[in-house]
Amino acid sequence: MNLWKQYLRQTWWISLGYLVILEGALVAAILYWPRFRDNIPAIAKLVPFDAIQDLLGAMEHAGYWPYLAIQQWFKGCSLFGVGAIAFVASGIIAREADQRTAEFLFSRPISRRRVLIARHSMVCLLVLLPVVLSSISAIWLSHWIGEFVPWASILWSTTYMCIFLWCLICFTTLVSSIAQHQLTAGASVVGLALISFALYLVQGLDQLSLFKLIDIHTFMSIHDGDVPWVKGGAIAGAALLMLIAADQLLARRSF
Amino acid sequence: MLRVQEVEKSYGDHQVLAGVSISVDRGEIVGLAGPNGAGKTTLLKCIVGVNRFDAGHVQVDDVDAMARSLAARRLIGYAPSETALYHRLRAEELLRFAIRYHPAADLQHGLRLLDELGVPRARRIGQLSHGMKRKVLLAQALASGAPLLMLDEPMEAFDPSARQAAIALLREAASNGRAVLCSSHDLDGIQRLCDRVVFLNTGRIIREGTTGEMLAEARRIAHIQLRTSVQKNDLPTHTGWIWKGEGRHWTLVYSDTAESIMTGLSQLPIASVRIGDATLDEVFASLYQAEPS
Repeated sequence: MNLWKQYLRQTWWISLGYLVILEGALVAAILYWPRFRDNIPAIAKLVPFDAIQDLLGAMEHAGYWPYLAIQQWFKGCSLFGVGAIAFVASGIIAREADQRTAEFLFSRPISRRRVLIARHSMVCLLVLLPVVLSSISAIWLSHWIGEFVPWASILWSTTYMCIFLWCLICFTTLVSSIAQHQLTAGASVVGLALISFALYLVQGLDQLSLFKLIDIHTFMSIHDGDVPWVKGGAIAGAALLMLIAADQLLARRSF
Repeated sequence: MLRVQEVEKSYGDHQVLAGVSISVDRGEIVGLAGPNGAGKTTLLKCIVGVNRFDAGHVQVDDVDAMARSLAARRLIGYAPSETALYHRLRAEELLRFAIRYHPAADLQHGLRLLDELGVPRARRIGQLSHGMKRKVLLAQALASGAPLLMLDEPMEAFDPSARQAAIALLREAASNGRAVLCSSHDLDGIQRLCDRVVFLNTGRIIREGTTGEMLAEARRIAHIQLRTSVQKNDLPTHTGWIWKGEGRHWTLVYSDTAESIMTGLSQLPIASVRIGDATLDEVFASLYQAEPS
């Protein structure tokens, strides 16, 4: 029984549930595309938000790819991903404090950094592997409805989405490393997502939203062969900084 | 094996440890006693690196526990007082996890200890009683193979036969050259187990000595009940006498014989005198009677 296995036993079922929900939502979305495609102009008239109208406009003009990107990454991975992160990553350290097992764990001859990195890596695997598997499955699932999506677009978009989710995992890890309660860490990432989505729907303030980083324009440019290296690098840099901060704060923490 | 020098720890404005110094040598069993809030658990947490101390120095077998916390923890088999453990793990799995990172761990020894202490190996931690969890914690500390054992309330919730077994196991560990530091409220257990006792109160050591010295001291404590209340100034004084108490109830710690104090007490309106039993409870009562806690 090592650190990985011990944490995996507590969390694997959340990851499995996340994969099932993600895949189920993707299958449903793909099968719904032919009917949705025919009704886009009518739906666009009913939507009050400019941001959503933008998305519908992109689908009307570019077809299946923006629809898939919105369903799989903008909606699916971010929505269910935040849920999975709230459940799995919030417990990295805060769960130990919450359940009063911290004294037992941190009195073992294991460095706090090793605990943090082992569990953080496990959380990344549990949250990001379903994203990768589900996204790749879209290539075959799209054939059911006679659509074609290129491997490169899928792989680059998935990589970009994984970097975005990793940033959210790092944020949750940071809060978890200082929080007394797991609920605090979980609520912080959900709160961040909710505020970001609220900002995204307000014209003028949408630039402040995290969802602006994963909106349709990003995935359209990836599809056009323009990989957003700078944006992806900046997100990864922010994630790394939060992970370093989590490590430093945990090292100074008393339990 | 363990040298703690002038360790201080505060939580905000509240000072929990105020310059505590203790040492434990190989083959020695030292008991840490004191009332709730005395700082016993905080001291152990500071030594093992779960809490960061503000000042002082801790050395475990020449390893600086502050600068090289990980190396120090490899030398410590620790059983915390907290029995909230990973409830989904089975007893055997918890043992494996607990000792996995100790360089000299002996899993087979740990499994034998679980059997000897009557812990069902396959049962989940969440289904074990408080006493059974304590046994798992004791077993993992012993099986760690570490030369220093630090046990926080190791025999709490043990039945008499389990206490007997635990005392035998810890004595065996000490006879094999391991140092043992255990904190407890169970003074009877400390009296039967420890070679030396350290009494803490409000983060300070107020008394330290071998168990033999403490018990000899307990025999020189007189509990005196008076017919009328008196002030401390009205009590007779004598070299080596220490009075504690108030009103009609007083405790006298004396250094000469019981017979000799009776002469000195003859001027008081005595209702009854009881000479102390040779127990650490007696020492504890006399130490903390007049101490703020």
